[in-house]
Amino acid sequence: MKNDLITLDNVSRFYGEVLGVNRVTLSMPPGITSLVGPNGAGKTTIMNLVTGLIRPTRGRIRVLGLSPTQSHKLFGLVGYATQFDAFPKGLSGFQFIYSFLRLFGYSNAECKRLANKVIEQVGLSDAAGRKVAGYSKGMRQRIRLAQALAHDPRVLILDEPLNGLDPLVRAETINLFRRYATEGRHVLVSSHVLHEVDMISDQVVLMSGGYVVAEGQIQSVRSEIQERPVKILIHCKQPSLLASKAFEQDHVVEAQLLTEGSGVLITTRDADRFYRLLNHLALSGIDIEGVTPADDNVNSVYDYLIGGEEKMSP
Amino acid sequence: MMKLWYGQIVSVVRLEMKKTFFSKRGLWVYLLAFAPVVLYMVHSVYATRQRQHLAQLATEHPISQAAFNGIKTGLSRDQVVAKLGEPYWQRTRYHHGGNGKKRSFVFYRYTDGKNDVSYHFEDNKLTWIHRRDPDTLPKSQLIFATSFQFYFLRLAIFFGCVGIFVNLFRGEMLDKSLHFYMLTPMRREVLLAGKYFAGLLATVVIFTSSTALQWWAMLWQFERGVIVDFLAGPGWIQFGAYLSVTALACVGYGSIFLAVGLLFSNPIIPTAVVLLWESANPFLPPLLKKTSMIYYLQSLCPVTAPPDKNMPPLINLLISPTEPATTLTAVTCIVLLTLLVLVLASRLARKLEINYGTD
Amino acid sequence: MAVYKQTYKDYSGTRTTPWFRFFILSRYSYARLFKSKFLVLFLAVCMFYPLGCAVFIYLSHNIPLLTALRLRSGAMPPIDGEFFNVYCVVQGALAFLLTTLVGPSLVAPDLANGAMSLYLSRPFSRTQYVAGKMTILLLLLSVITWIPGIVLYLIQAGCAGWDWARVHAWLAGSIVLGLWIWIVVLSLIALALSAWVKWKIAAGALILGVFFAGAGFGVAINNVTRTHYGAFIDLMQVVRTIWSDLFRNGSSADLSVTEAWTVLGVTCGLCLWLLARRIRAFEVVK
Repeated sequence: MKNDLITLDNVSRFYGEVLGVNRVTLSMPPGITSLVGPNGAGKTTIMNLVTGLIRPTRGRIRVLGLSPTQSHKLFGLVGYATQFDAFPKGLSGFQFIYSFLRLFGYSNAECKRLANKVIEQVGLSDAAGRKVAGYSKGMRQRIRLAQALAHDPRVLILDEPLNGLDPLVRAETINLFRRYATEGRHVLVSSHVLHEVDMISDQVVLMSGGYVVAEGQIQSVRSEIQERPVKILIHCKQPSLLASKAFEQDHVVEAQLLTEGSGVLITTRDADRFYRLLNHLALSGIDIEGVTPADDNVNSVYDYLIGGEEKMSP
Repeated sequence: MMKLWYGQIVSVVRLEMKKTFFSKRGLWVYLLAFAPVVLYMVHSVYATRQRQHLAQLATEHPISQAAFNGIKTGLSRDQVVAKLGEPYWQRTRYHHGGNGKKRSFVFYRYTDGKNDVSYHFEDNKLTWIHRRDPDTLPKSQLIFATSFQFYFLRLAIFFGCVGIFVNLFRGEMLDKSLHFYMLTPMRREVLLAGKYFAGLLATVVIFTSSTALQWWAMLWQFERGVIVDFLAGPGWIQFGAYLSVTALACVGYGSIFLAVGLLFSNPIIPTAVVLLWESANPFLPPLLKKTSMIYYLQSLCPVTAPPDKNMPPLINLLISPTEPATTLTAVTCIVLLTLLVLVLASRLARKLEINYGTD
Repeated sequence: MAVYKQTYKDYSGTRTTPWFRFFILSRYSYARLFKSKFLVLFLAVCMFYPLGCAVFIYLSHNIPLLTALRLRSGAMPPIDGEFFNVYCVVQGALAFLLTTLVGPSLVAPDLANGAMSLYLSRPFSRTQYVAGKMTILLLLLSVITWIPGIVLYLIQAGCAGWDWARVHAWLAGSIVLGLWIWIVVLSLIALALSAWVKWKIAAGALILGVFFAGAGFGVAINNVTRTHYGAFIDLMQVVRTIWSDLFRNGSSADLSVTEAWTVLGVTCGLCLWLLARRIRAFEVVK
């Protein structure tokens, strides 16, 4: 097994009778991997399992070849910013980072240097001396991020890391993730803010109700979904004619004329065949001004997958 | 590796220090620990002043021992005053009986310079004589032994350890901040050891200081010569023994409550069970006695506490007398029990999951 | 000029009367509490002694059965003030344990998790909050204290006849008053300590500590100073003194009835002061 992967092999976790995650098999290479799903989908459970904070009811997990039970080895490599919004009482931001760095075995001077560096990195230098209990929500989010980054880990696991951050810090944080990813590290983030995930992820894992419903690059996830109707927006001068021609094809399920008469929104089950048809229609004289996939983002894929599941459930 | 573990333990102790020593919610531990010190101090100040006061009264109004010996119940107030003179303190109370008759209750106090003697008259007849002897060192030692064993060991240290050691794990689970420790490259056993030492440091410092201060406050009322003689004799050994027993109580109870905090989401129920078990110790059969911490701790105390005078005779009958354990046995048993509990606790810690939602 | 369509309509349905709104807290808390099997088991255990007393009362009036058992009715201890005083001591101790079990989780979690602002941002006052939380304990403790006590009195009245009931009506009053005093004191102490430490475990330990360590330290005070002042901090002894007086029994207690009432008054006052300081919608982090 390659040692630069985070792998979950048929992992299940139950909280009593409540399902956390079920039969999850994943392999995450270096780069940014996003866990996406609504509340209760199992994103945090996956992260807690990977970091050994909870144990799987069944299945096997490896992080760069290490078992999460070997926490004394694992956390030399892994930094985890949890979603728990609580901190040890009475500590300032600096004391919080510094004190926990001491547990890594660094010298006093090194801990101070690393703490100052990471606090500056997350933009909290001015508030470093203040008690964490008095921080705003965004500041608490940043100090949690700092705690995960402080020891410069190879694997960064962040539960909803962009929650509560202002746009500027959000952009800086995303840049930081990208930098980590380009250095060949793992960045595993969870989010339900889909457009952000869409922008930053190398790989997405879509989750719902404790199950992984899709995984891979966004485009490949999409192409894997054979049955999913795809919406394509075509701007042309004869939308009615185009719609009628399209309806002759069995893979086209819907054609919707735009109100201003400038085009048509086609829903098809086979995008490739439809694109070939478009070429043919263009050659036959229909003036096509532009073709745009209307829903090629994670949001629509996600809506489709989750919506489909909901429809299936009684 | 040992150096790393040592460093990690020291870091955990440092992190916990604020919580164990200076937390506002832990102020009551100080109250439990230092209330007896205040008590001994106040008593010593009072006893010293009272001794001086009685001596002065006796100088101003000397009464012979023979005069005191001549006072028997049944005498009238006038007869008592005729023999002893006017009391230095008196109080009169009236009560109305059920038949509407008014009854008088009069209290007189006299002194020979050392002892304080109270006479209680009902309707002018002496019915009750109470002689309050001055505090002596042997008597004070017995009082110290009683309050140390029945209050300080069984209740103050017990509840202090509950407050501090249970808080180490369960408190952080409730505060949802325990996971920060779990996110560091530290063995769970090392974390447990660090937390245990942090709790131990706090309890040992707080309670041994209290024991030491109580001891000196108890001695303070006596004259310098008496104290020097006592210290030249068994004094220092007793002092050392009390400090050691205090520290061993923290060691033993600390391990139990650390494990309780790890194992139970509501530690109050097991705490109440341990409290009842330790309180029931005098009534347990000899074999079961040896399964309680208090048996070994009491065995190590240098002075045997007298039984409770106020205990009802029926309950007194239930007390099962047992030979105290030898020093070596007692210390070995406490240490072994502590180690056993800590080993079990470390196994629990290894399997510990961060699942705050269920707490 | 902007014209807005007025579509907003205020809630016009019936609301719970403000006077009884505090019961909402109790209702939800009972639902949570009774999920605990241990609590249900404990409540069942608390009924053993009253049940035993009821059997005893029935037996002591059943002459044929006593004759069959070769017992004289005069040989049975009388059902009098002392009988009910002992009942109060036993059920009072159980009420204390129940308070230790239930009390700490009433206020502390709300304060620790910042829920006070949620409660108090509704038409719900601090007094209603305290009343609601206190009602939980008061009703629960009533079930194991004065209610079975009154049932015992009625059984005895039923067996002994109207004359006995008339002559001993004061017993019913003493049972209700004596046990109400105790459950009010217990509830106030539990709420105040729970609010003070804001942590249910420490609150539980403190409730145990106030009674056990209080009694222990009281004895230490009596020992060291050779006085009876220690009795003032032994709340069990304080309430026993009051019960002895209410049930017209002689008491060998170290403090007078007036002193006992004063101690209870001061304790309740302290608890109310603590609650007034702690039950607030905000907290300043320094």
